[in-house]
Amino acid sequence: MKEVRLRLREKPNPPLEADTITPDAFSGKTLDQVKELPVYLGNRLGKLCDYFDIFGETSEKASDMLINVLGDTAQVKYIGTKMTAGKVVVEGNAGMHVGAQMTGGEILVQGNVDDWAGTEMSGGLMRITGSAGNHLGSAYRGSPDGMTGGCIVVDGDVQWECASFMRRGMVVIRGDSGPFLGAHMNGGEIFVFGRAAKRLGASAKGNGGFIACLGEVEALLPTYVYDSIYQPMFMKLYLRKLANELGVKEAEKFINASFKRYHGDLAAGGTSEIFVAS
Amino acid sequence: MSFTYNGVEIDDTYAEGFSMWGSRIVITAASRKWADTAAQTMTGYATSVIACDCEAGLERELAPSETQDGRPGRAVMVFGFSKEKLAASMLARIGQCVLTCPTTAIFNGVEKAESEALLEVGKSLRFFGDGFQTKMRINDGLGERIRFWRIPVMEGEFLTEEKYGAKKCVAGGNFLLMGREEASTLDAAERAIEAIHTVPFVVTPFPGGLCRSGSKVGSKYAFLKASTNTPFCPTIKHSLRDSKVPEDANSVIEVVLNGFTEPAVKRAMGAGIKAASSVKGLARITAVNFGGKLGKFKIGLKDCLEGMP
Repeated sequence: MKEVRLRLREKPNPPLEADTITPDAFSGKTLDQVKELPVYLGNRLGKLCDYFDIFGETSEKASDMLINVLGDTAQVKYIGTKMTAGKVVVEGNAGMHVGAQMTGGEILVQGNVDDWAGTEMSGGLMRITGSAGNHLGSAYRGSPDGMTGGCIVVDGDVQWECASFMRRGMVVIRGDSGPFLGAHMNGGEIFVFGRAAKRLGASAKGNGGFIACLGEVEALLPTYVYDSIYQPMFMKLYLRKLANELGVKEAEKFINASFKRYHGDLAAGGTSEIFVAS
Repeated sequence: MSFTYNGVEIDDTYAEGFSMWGSRIVITAASRKWADTAAQTMTGYATSVIACDCEAGLERELAPSETQDGRPGRAVMVFGFSKEKLAASMLARIGQCVLTCPTTAIFNGVEKAESEALLEVGKSLRFFGDGFQTKMRINDGLGERIRFWRIPVMEGEFLTEEKYGAKKCVAGGNFLLMGREEASTLDAAERAIEAIHTVPFVVTPFPGGLCRSGSKVGSKYAFLKASTNTPFCPTIKHSLRDSKVPEDANSVIEVVLNGFTEPAVKRAMGAGIKAASSVKGLARITAVNFGGKLGKFKIGLKDCLEGMP
């Protein structure tokens, strides 16, 4: 892989909108052309090199492109948005909309991410070693579908309305989740290893979607009905994948666990499932 | 024409293999016992398409580390004359013998790259859930997506992959062990089967892998499309003019095998013949063919033994 490194000179204010920091935008260009890529500071059009020191080597194909973003980019929005391939590593915090609508490739954020990270993503992998803000992997307002594929792994906590309107894909939260996790979900898989806050799965419809709670659950909605306790075979497949392929080692201890199965949300006529490890 | 191998006379002839569609299924269960039970039940009464709906057999045992759900497993292979017939047999047999067997789950055992067709067996099996089946996907947008169906059963839940790979395979690999008496012939045949099962992607559909009757196309009776292979029946060797039983042979057992590829069948036949030839009392080894009228694969016994360690 060819690598380009971007070092943020100083924290921008207002936040910098840099949807050009993607392997797709960088590949096939010279380093000088990359430096000229447009960014917005508020309503002012600028160049990437106005805010970043840029060095390294570009590749012909996005899949061979690694972008390393250095410095505290908590005020830099849209990093890796709509990317299709390659890899972006953010060595610090990332601003809003990181990885939004991405369709492939990998984003690694070695810190926290702000709201709307991974929104409407349909493919690829996003790893966040810190915590995430609100609306991680969810749908933008007015959109019927949130995530339709791909995987997000968060080592820390997530805030409100994570994975709302999810259709497919997987979200793994190793810490705690905020309220309304998986609200309106209609497919996809969510795993929470920490504490799941109230109103998870609100208005969820079904389509094979489920939330697996492997830690404490604050409260389940009364519109979820308890069915039985058993060892779901399919859960072993997911937990083995988490442990062996995604590095979520704590999943191993639940491989032979029993789960309470609840279905709902009956308020939405849903057949979605919540599994609570017992 | 013949040659000698390990002191045993072997006819320089060939087994005539023919093409069939085949699939491979991995059955897992809570223990070896239940994986075996499901696999054996599912592959029962599937010796030959002469009278069975398909041909099937146990391929090998899988350790928990080799299966998708980390439980003990059994790989089985099923063969049919067309994709449609194969799918119908798989559906019926899985539905009646695996779905019903406690703790089981099933997975596609054919690599995607190897598959020439995908049979939507799991997609049909799902209807056993009577509307309460749940779809499941893994790797959506991250690697190769695999679809499953979760079907509620009284004991818990049955898990099946949606699609099973199928490909054109080789059926009808065979060789005949002709011994001086029954005991040594059976001993040689058992050793052959043991050796054959060390070769991957090969099954022996007959009881214990052995066919003592043999078979030939047609009979003197108009209503019977196949009969025992009378030219190889020692008890009547002097009752018919075209007997092929040597004077010193008094028992003949046929080893029949199907495999995913011609090289796999060839390798398995070689391993089987080598193992059988170590038994004293074996008079001759030959193979059954129909002069090229039955199938396109001519698997020479000499070729099978070439390169055998």
